[in-house]
Amino acid sequence: MLGYVRLEVVRVLRDVTFVVFGIAMPVVMYLIFTTLALAPGDREKAALFVMVSMAAYGGMGAAFNNGSGLAEDKALGWLRQLRLTPLAPAAVVAGKAITGMVVVVPAIAAILLAGTFVNGVRLDAGQWISIIALLWAGTIPFTLFGLGNGYRLTGQAAGIANFASSMTLAVAGGLWIPSDVFPGWLKAVSEWTPTHSYADLSWNVAYGEAPAPRSVLILCGWLAVFGLYALASYRRAGRSA
Amino acid sequence: MNANAVSPAPPAADATGSPGAPPAVALSELTKSFGAVRAVDGLSLEIPRGQTVALLGPNGAGKSTAIGMMLGLIAPDSGRAEIFGGRPGQAVRAGRVGAMPQEGGLIHRVTVGELIRFVAGTYQDPLPLERILAGAGLGGLAGRRVDKLSGGQAQRVRFALALAGDPDLIVLDEPTSALDVEARREFWDGMRRFAARGKTILFSTHYLEEADEHADRIVVIDRGRIVADGTSREIKRVTALTTVGVTVTGETSWLAGLPGVSAIEIRGDRARLRCTDSDATVVALAQAGAVRDLEVSPADLEDAFVALTAHRATPPVPSPVRTGPAGQEESAV
Repeated sequence: MLGYVRLEVVRVLRDVTFVVFGIAMPVVMYLIFTTLALAPGDREKAALFVMVSMAAYGGMGAAFNNGSGLAEDKALGWLRQLRLTPLAPAAVVAGKAITGMVVVVPAIAAILLAGTFVNGVRLDAGQWISIIALLWAGTIPFTLFGLGNGYRLTGQAAGIANFASSMTLAVAGGLWIPSDVFPGWLKAVSEWTPTHSYADLSWNVAYGEAPAPRSVLILCGWLAVFGLYALASYRRAGRSA
Repeated sequence: MNANAVSPAPPAADATGSPGAPPAVALSELTKSFGAVRAVDGLSLEIPRGQTVALLGPNGAGKSTAIGMMLGLIAPDSGRAEIFGGRPGQAVRAGRVGAMPQEGGLIHRVTVGELIRFVAGTYQDPLPLERILAGAGLGGLAGRRVDKLSGGQAQRVRFALALAGDPDLIVLDEPTSALDVEARREFWDGMRRFAARGKTILFSTHYLEEADEHADRIVVIDRGRIVADGTSREIKRVTALTTVGVTVTGETSWLAGLPGVSAIEIRGDRARLRCTDSDATVVALAQAGAVRDLEVSPADLEDAFVALTAHRATPPVPSPVRTGPAGQEESAV
């Protein structure tokens, strides 16, 4: 299974579209948002706040991208080819999920590095470790959602569904525009989104607080929902293969 | 090179088949419908170990569906498929099967070497990369990106994936349909090297010549059923479709009495003889000193099917010889 993960990660990192739109673009957006002072508060605070927003956006995008790749694999006959090798079907699913957890790393790391070295964000070691861990582990629900779409839909439809899902979740979750400036009703919705709770954990840590239990619970709830969705999609794909 | 001709390594004891060991492939009464279409209709087939079998049939005959069930990719409506005495999925998981589906299976942004090494790595005892590359005619292409290959090269990579794990059984669904003549020749060279090591091979094709040239046994399938099963010679005799053309002057009626001739057709001074045994016919023509502008045309599959279907409809016809060691078994399910 390690060999499978390695192969899949290599494929993703050689994908120029992903490197440009999944890794480089969030960095550019981060630098634009912070230098143009589009985020609220003083510059230093904005650099920190938007660093978390954009890292969350980048990580989520990479997780969804992985799911779109799965739909392409299906169209290319790659999943069928894998079924003709001794690799167990469960190992393929697990390998694809692990791939998702690996490819989010460069997307998140690029933003954190830009925050540190370009925008001079300073946090203590404990905060960095917590933020990295939370941003990384928090992509799991999105990886599952993306894989669910990938198993359920055809190549192009999965790509569109994943793009639309990540955009909607990014906006509604307040990753682009802070939810503090949302009208009341939208703010109320936003607080229930997986994206908001995902980023909120790291915002808490960045401002020296403990992650809010409410956000942990909401994100875990979405983890369960997306996990069940991925499982249902996988079963359905298995029946029709 | 000579090592390939005379089995390079002692073949594994179970690869060539010790007596009593289950056959490489055993299909019994397999049936599969897609909607109203019955793609495979009560198909039973047994392939002993070490045999090279061609599954011959036109497009839509049910070849791919039969192969899909054989490999455990498609669940049959009824009947049973067994590979080396176990369920197909088990045999695949145990690394005893290598397969090349009709299309697809290649991914972008990896090199030929990376892809083959990965697939080989999923098997317990794969061939070394160099031997896989050589066997599939891919020498010098290990570093090439899979998405930058020509059609023929891509097909050879797909073949390489099927043989990478050094399986005992290899199943190829229309392996040469996308290849030009030269690539086809190279493909069959690789296949022959594989077969020489005592492996069992099943390939499907709609080219009669290909089945004729490369298989020990031909199983003709039409509308989901086996309509003929035997050696190339046996099948051709039944279909009686080889045509011998010769230029004759004067009396022509004697031609009908030549050995192996089943019908004659005269147009001007050109006679076309339909033959059940064209070899015998040609020898007789030569003995009669009548070889002028001789032309032997092999059977055309399209016609062969018409003939085979007709044979099925009229009972008093010798049925083609079955070469399978055991008789038909009743399905247990």
